[in-house]
Amino acid sequence: MSQFWLRVTLILYSIGLAHALLTVFIRRAKLFRVALGAISLAAVFHLVSIVEQAAATRRFPITDFHHSVSFLAFSITCAFLIAYARYRFQALSVFVFPLVFMLTLSAAVSSGARLEDPLLRSGWIWLHVLLLLAGYAMLFVTFAAGIMYILQERELKSKKPRAFHYRLPPLEQLDDLAHKTLAAGFPLMTLGIISGALWAAAEWGSRWPLDPKIALSFVTWLIYLGLIFSRWTAGWRGRKAAYFAIAGFLATVATWGANSGLHSFK
Amino acid sequence: MRSKVASDLRTSDLGPVDLEMNFGLVGLSHKSAPVEIRERLAIPEAALPQALEALRRHDGIREGLILSTCNRVEVFARGRPGGNPADSLVSFLAGYHRLPAGELKPHLYQYAQRDAIRHVFRVTASLDSMVVGEPQILGQVKNAYAAARAAGTACGLLEEVLMRAFSVAKKVRSETGIAQSAVSISYAAVELARKIFGSLEGKHMLLVGAGKMSELAARHLLRSGAASLMIVNRSLERAEELAEAFGGQAVPFERLFDSLAHADIVITSTGAPHFILKKEDGPRILARRRNRPMFFIDIAVPRDVDPELNKIDNIFLYDIDDLQQVVEANLAERRHEAQRGEQIIEREVDRFLARARTLEVVPTIVSLQERLEEVRRGEIERLRARLGDLSAEQEQAIEALTRGIVNKILHEPITHLKSAAQEPDSRKAIDLVRRIFNLK
Repeated sequence: MSQFWLRVTLILYSIGLAHALLTVFIRRAKLFRVALGAISLAAVFHLVSIVEQAAATRRFPITDFHHSVSFLAFSITCAFLIAYARYRFQALSVFVFPLVFMLTLSAAVSSGARLEDPLLRSGWIWLHVLLLLAGYAMLFVTFAAGIMYILQERELKSKKPRAFHYRLPPLEQLDDLAHKTLAAGFPLMTLGIISGALWAAAEWGSRWPLDPKIALSFVTWLIYLGLIFSRWTAGWRGRKAAYFAIAGFLATVATWGANSGLHSFK
Repeated sequence: MRSKVASDLRTSDLGPVDLEMNFGLVGLSHKSAPVEIRERLAIPEAALPQALEALRRHDGIREGLILSTCNRVEVFARGRPGGNPADSLVSFLAGYHRLPAGELKPHLYQYAQRDAIRHVFRVTASLDSMVVGEPQILGQVKNAYAAARAAGTACGLLEEVLMRAFSVAKKVRSETGIAQSAVSISYAAVELARKIFGSLEGKHMLLVGAGKMSELAARHLLRSGAASLMIVNRSLERAEELAEAFGGQAVPFERLFDSLAHADIVITSTGAPHFILKKEDGPRILARRRNRPMFFIDIAVPRDVDPELNKIDNIFLYDIDDLQQVVEANLAERRHEAQRGEQIIEREVDRFLARARTLEVVPTIVSLQERLEEVRRGEIERLRARLGDLSAEQEQAIEALTRGIVNKILHEPITHLKSAAQEPDSRKAIDLVRRIFNLK
């Protein structure tokens, strides 16, 4: 049943995606209401799918790759809806919706045996995954805001407004969005890493092994820490901060993709 | 079905028979005629009722509308069957202005039927305007319509065209970007500020030097929500004068750098022969305001601000030529969007014509229905006595039976009429049905 609701969700996401692209590319504002409606409804069904899966397995369903992808898509949708409620940036949907659609698609079509590492069933490891995925979702919005900032800044500096200029939101608000999502995503990521470390310490004592994911996550964390620090102290903002946010997100993707050693889904 | 079309009909005061489409339009605009001709043919608002009255009495004209603005004079009318309203309109215009038609003709464009309706739609939607998307034209057409309505020259199909033109104009405006970007320099400055800061609320402005252009830009920005205005001028007296006029605050020239650190938007227009702000000033100012972005608008010629300043992060500098360039890009964007407007108009003209053609056959359908109903009632009345006493049920059965027969018979001719309405020679089908059923 959970898979059925996920497919309903997928259809709604595809409707939202199509309408959002039409809105932004041909600038027909009315279509965005359809996109927004479809995405909001999709979020509801997505939640239903997750809850049903949780009820069926009596566990928070993010401990295998397939379900963690689905949960990541759900988190990104929520991050988008929160950001949209505050900023009303339609252009953000062009970044968010395709990714959400692809993630949900891969979660909805993948089937077959889902082997779970018995390690992942234990205790509160789900909290580790939950915090990190929620953090990734926020930092993805930071990344999207950064890209939009760089494009819009280039338009404004070039003094020749082209297609991007008319479609992208104002600079200062983009910077604000990037800052706020960073301020939310970074603590989530930090707590996620800490919870993982605590859990590992409880499991193996002080002798838990270092794997590529752990190493990469530490690099990612340092990049974001650097960004936050320079924002606070040196008043970094705008273009430099946007480039930093993009670098941080690329590191995040590498971290997420590095599934070996301790973090392999066996 | 009947109730729907019949209620459409009631909106026309001319009676059901008068629904023949025979539209014509004659006009001249900034595209077809120089201003000397346009002003000679203009019909001032005060003279409009009289002119409409003359139009109504003119040969071959049934309904009419006159639109006269500084960029165009248009006469749109529906003619009597068979005639060519465009020809009548040329002679009307010539007669009204007491000019020989031959002298007028080279400056006029003439449209008939579909083209005339399309032209009305395009003009109302501001696609034919000198500045595409300018908003005044819709109001001007509405005024022209109000005048025609008051004069009793717009009360049938022509009124339907105008009603549709207003809603199409709204649709074009909301579904395309023809009216979205600024096409004047001072408004372009406001839009750029919005693209940098988002909302202008809480933003501080600094005016360096004074001049007509910079005051205009400042006024626009204040009206768009900017929080405060500081004015720096070589002569403090003049600065104080301006400060009073704008509700701002005058600052002595020596404190220029202090005020720059507080200003988000800086408009410069001094008469200084050299740059008053150099590239190395940029980082100094930004450092004092924690890199919060700044928007410099340099209206002075020669320029007041070193163009190199634009290369610094978080500083955006536009001089007068840059603003002009933005305005031109916006105009190009509007023209691009206008093409989408044209597509909308094309579709809407088709829809309107399809509806209007259906309206043409409605009177025939209505009288056909009335005729057969008359026959049905007549026959029931005639046989009433022979049927004797009937129960309510039997009464109902007879009603249902006769109605059923009538509806079955009517179905084919009505379907035929409706589909024939969309063909060019719908008149023939109408005449045929009228003859067969002996309708008046």
